[in-house]
Formats: sequence, C-alpha cells, structure tokens
Amino acid sequence: MGTGRMDSFEREDAGAGGPSPGNAPVRDSVPEHLPRQTRQTAQPWSPSEPGSPEPGSPEPGSPAGSGSSSGPGHRLQPAGPPQAPAPLGRPGDEGPLGDGDSGSRGRGIAGLSLPYQVAAALSLALIGALACVHLGMVFLHVAPSNTVTKQHGEAVDWWVYPEFEQNWKLFAPNPLQQNVAVQVRAEYTAADGSRRSTDWIDLSAEDGAAIQGSLLPSHVHQNMLRRAWDFYVTSHDGDNRPNGVRGQLSERYVRRIAVARLMERDLGGPVERIQLRSATSAVDPPGWSDEKIEVKPVHRVLPWWTITAADLPEDAARDRAEAER
Amino acid sequence: MRRGNGFDRKVADALQRITAAALGPYQSAVVRIGFAGAWLCFLLRELPHRQELYGPDSPWAWDMARRLVAGNDAFTVLVWGDGVLWFECVYALSVASSLLLMLGWRTRAMSALFMVGVLSLQNRSIFMGDGGDNVIHLMALYLVFTRCAQVWSLDARRAARAARAEDGAASRDRTGPVLWCLLGFGLLVGTFLSLSHRPGLFVPLLLWVLWLAQGLWWAVSRYAARSQPHTLLDVIANLVHNTALVVIMAEVCVIYATAGWYKVQGSRWQDGTALYYPLKLDYFTPWPALSELLAASGTMVMLLTYGTVIVQVAFPFTLFNRRVKNVLLVVMMVEHAAIAVVLGLPFFSLAMIAADAVFLPTAFLVWLGAAAARGRARLRPRGRSREAPRQHEQHTAHRTLVG
Repeated sequence: MGTGRMDSFEREDAGAGGPSPGNAPVRDSVPEHLPRQTRQTAQPWSPSEPGSPEPGSPEPGSPAGSGSSSGPGHRLQPAGPPQAPAPLGRPGDEGPLGDGDSGSRGRGIAGLSLPYQVAAALSLALIGALACVHLGMVFLHVAPSNTVTKQHGEAVDWWVYPEFEQNWKLFAPNPLQQNVAVQVRAEYTAADGSRRSTDWIDLSAEDGAAIQGSLLPSHVHQNMLRRAWDFYVTSHDGDNRPNGVRGQLSERYVRRIAVARLMERDLGGPVERIQLRSATSAVDPPGWSDEKIEVKPVHRVLPWWTITAADLPEDAARDRAEAER
Repeated sequence: MRRGNGFDRKVADALQRITAAALGPYQSAVVRIGFAGAWLCFLLRELPHRQELYGPDSPWAWDMARRLVAGNDAFTVLVWGDGVLWFECVYALSVASSLLLMLGWRTRAMSALFMVGVLSLQNRSIFMGDGGDNVIHLMALYLVFTRCAQVWSLDARRAARAARAEDGAASRDRTGPVLWCLLGFGLLVGTFLSLSHRPGLFVPLLLWVLWLAQGLWWAVSRYAARSQPHTLLDVIANLVHNTALVVIMAEVCVIYATAGWYKVQGSRWQDGTALYYPLKLDYFTPWPALSELLAASGTMVMLLTYGTVIVQVAFPFTLFNRRVKNVLLVVMMVEHAAIAVVLGLPFFSLAMIAADAVFLPTAFLVWLGAAAARGRARLRPRGRSREAPRQHEQHTAHRTLVG
C-alpha cells in the first residue's frame, strides 16, 4: 500500500532507468587501469587496500603517504586529512578536523576510562541495533510480500514511510512494452461567441519532441505528465471513479497539466471544457522475433470536464474572474 | 586458552578501529561530492522550470501538495507558506547548500541544510521524481550522519591550516558559532511555524539532535579538549559515521539486488529482449537513431540484457572479492553513463554513479585526487607562484607533524 510519497515509478516502467549496456570491452580496461593507478601513487599502502571504505591499516589520510609520491599533486587535499590515526591513535597526532575531530591523545575506546568505556559500549550497541533494524525494515520494504511482511507490514510501513520509501524495480519484472500517449481536446468560446472544439492534441508527443536531442531532459517533459497519468490510472477504477482523496487529487492534477499546456497555445478563446484520453500502443516486436501483436492503439477516454478557476494557473484564474465580472 | 586470547584481541582491535577513526574518508568524501553535485546540477538544469515543478502555482498546486503531505507526514518546509518568495528562498537555499556541501564548507551544517532542501523540494511534488530523485533523497538522509569532510573539503583545509598555526587558531573561529546560532534560530522559528501543520516528527527531531550535538561538540572541544567526555563524543561520532557508511553500502546493495532479482522473474529478461523495449519508449529515446542502432541486433540486445541481470544480481556477492568487485564497479559505472545518454536519464545515472563510488578503492581515489590537483595546477599556471610556497609549507608541516 503506497501510503505516501514516492509511489514513484509504480509498476514496471519505473520511471528510472533500468540498466542497459555494460559491456565486455570494459573488462579489459580494468586490470590495466586500476592496478596501475594503484602502483603509481599509492604504493605505500596498496597491499592492504581493502576495497571498500575501510582503509585498513594505514589510514589513507596520512599526509605522509601522499606526500611521498606525487609532487605537485595534492592541492585538492592539501590538508591530507591531518587525522592520521594509523591502526591506533598515534600519540602526538593532532588533527582538528573539519567536522569535528578530536585533538586528543588516546583516541577510540582504548583511550577511555572504564565508566566512559561502558558508555561507549552502550552507544555502540544502540547505534548497531538501530542500523540493523533499519536495514531489516528496508529489506522487508523492498522484498516481495512474504510471511513476515504479512504479519508485521504495519511496523515496516511505520518505519519506512514517508522518508525511506523506495522502489528499485527498475524496468522489472518486465519493462513497459507500450507507449502511452496522453491526448487532450478542448471546447472553447471563439471570438464570435460560438463554441468550438479542437482536434485531439497529443501532449505526450510534445514531451517526446522536447526530450529528443536533449542531453539533459527536464523532469517537466520526462516525468510530469507521464507520472501524473500513472497516478490517475492507479487511483481510479475502470469506470473512472476515483478511490479516495488520491483519486480526486490525481484528477485535478492531470486537468491542471492539460489546461496549462493548452494555455501555451492560442486557441482563440477561453477554454470551457476539456476531455482527456490515453492512446496505448504496443511497441513493435523486435525485427528478429516472430511475435505478432495488435497494432491499433487502445484508447481510454475520460469524460468531459468543465474547467473552473481551480484548474487554471493563478494569473489566468484572476484574469478570468475579472473578465466574468 | 590462547585461542580465546587471540579472539579477544581481535575483538578489541576491531572495536578500537571502529571507534578511533571515521573510516573511509575518501569514500565518504566522494559520496558527498557526488550527491551534492548531482543535486546541484539538477537544480541548475531545472532553474527555468522550477516554478512548474515545485512552485506554488505548479500544476501540482500548493494546496494539493499540502493535502497529500497532511496524509503521509512527509517533511517539507514548502507547505509552510504558499508565497513565491518563500519558494524562491527555499530553492536558492537548496542550491547554496548543495554547492557548499560539495565544497565541504561547514560540512555538518551544510549536510543538514542539504537534507532539508532535498526533502522539501521532493516531498513538495512527489510525482515529479524518478529513481534518481529517490536515491538522492535517501543519501541526503544518510549523509548527515557521516564525517564526510575529512578530505577534499574546505573544512579539511581549514583544519590543516589551524593545525599549522598552532593552538589559538581554533578560538579565532567565529563563523562556526555564528552559523550555529543562526541555524538554531531558524530551527526554532521553523518548529513554531510547522506546529500548525502537525508534521512528522522524524526530521525535525533529527535536526534538533544534530544541532544540539554540534553545540555540545563545540563546547567540549573548546573547554575540555582531550578530556574523557571529549574522547567519548569523538568515539560516538566515529561510530555513527562508520555505521552510516555501512548503511550506505547496504543501501546500494539493496538497490542492485532488488533491481536484479525482480528482473530474473520477468519473461522479457528471460527471453533476452528486455533491453529492446525501453529503447522504443518515446519518453526514453532522446536519440532515436542511437536507440535504433542498439536495438538492431538481437544478439547484442540479448547479451546486454543478460549481462545487466548478471551484474546486478552478482554485485552484492562480489564485495567479498576485491578484484571482481572493482571490475563490476567499472562495468556498472560505464553502464550508467550509457543509460544517461541513451535513455536520457542523466541525473539518475549521476546519482547511481555517486552511490557506486562508495565502493571505489582508496588507492584509486587518492590517485584521482592527485590527478585532479595536477590538472588544476596545469589549468591555472599563474596560480603556481602562489602554489609553490604553500606546497613547501605543507612539506615542512608534515615533518613537524609526522616525521
């Protein structure tokens, strides 16, 4: 039950990239690169380089290390972290650190007297327990529904929502295999006072055009309408009846998007009513496959909606109110 | 008996290691720079669209956001007011805090502000985001627990200078206390403002704890340096940092494991055509010719499809072998770079690469830092004259400090 925030990429299209290429040639370049770099600069400690944040014995920080190899190198880490507590805190090593470093002699738990050691141990237990519970909850949150989540789903939701919600079914279990185009047509009052209606205007195609040739597509084009429509579909039943608050919100949302888009073009009069529909067309099967699919797009048509001030951007609403007065 | 002793010793050593230092200074720094940078780039890119995405008059209107947030307790300061000015301030604050976090200026404070900025904007319009926003959201929360400015930061540079200038330098620092007071005032005002909205407790509580802890740390460092309480606080901070780093790493594993294991179940991933479909989706084909090219060969699509699933499923397990892990890391980063262009998801990819970076080997990061510094020196030759003495200074400093 998505109670909340990022019921983002609901369903398979996931909104976010599912991975794609990642490719063999890369593999060759690796052994060449990494180890060489390793040898080049970091000889002093490369043997114990642990791979992950766990710079093992020689805290990489030690300025001595970097100093020894590359000459004009380290302006970026000029500080070379002054903190260089090799295995154990080194006496006399004083390193006030950016976000807080002790300049104290004995560092770590070994430098504490018994009562303080107890306090440190308790902190360790508490912090460790919190982290374990958190990771457990996150795991249960992303895992498929199972025995534990059926019994303790509420506890999991309580922990995870709203800020730790996540969904990593990126293009999974199956990628979306259809293009969903959202289209709108409008009824407006023309200059001569007559009511006219437009043809279907493909808003998704406009998005697509904006995305094409762009290295940095905007969320406005890539996510707004696409996810709004998803939101509408998941919060309505087949007869376009909203289920609860979210259903009502989603209606108003797609309506506002459509109206804002219509206002960008000059129809020749104020929009009175709009109608939305989606045209879902399956992606053609790949050329090498012998699958056959229905080529005709499937339409889902929503009822006509009368536009009220609440559907308009603020200044437009104000204008309209004045005009009506 | 002896074995027992050996075990005790190992436990003691491990305890000492995780309490004496904030481990992975380079990894935490690169994660900080990566995520702050990704969010900064995103905000700058969306500058022309900011009103449409998060402004009071966005299609996802302010009152709609407020209604939704009231139901799910998400944290966003944007529901406190519907003024354009308020929105612009929050957006600007988010830009500034991500820039400063990237540079590592007053990092702990900036990481808190960064989190507030990210959460406020994203929770304001949850239906604008995608996977990239989701990763940034989570990492913004985790980053506040880390000591991520030990290297590659203005904080580290300042600390090194202060160390060289002997004592007394610390007492001259006015900015820290002033910033702390300002943020405390802001927090107080924010708390009162938010009372009427009955927000979720988690984030405000977290902010207050952070603020108090910073104050306590400052006071103890100043008046009782090298005392037992001081060491205890340092131990706790290290523990929190190290734990947060583990959580970040686990989160990355969760991402790949989830993405991989759910794919295994999909028929399209099984028959080796899955990758073909996103290449045909209008919303994910910024370069149709390129997509066409990739989709042209059935064998290539199948290899990439299988390769993707294998890499994602395998990744968490390769952490036990450094060499294999590094190979996979490169593969995944290249893959994300390709996704950035081919599917038009640059910020998602940037965020994922930043997340992957937590697993980069220290030696590589050190080399990268040195290379970046060399590149910078080459780009700005006139800076060299200034550079030289400082370099010298540094070396003497090493000698007094270490040698």
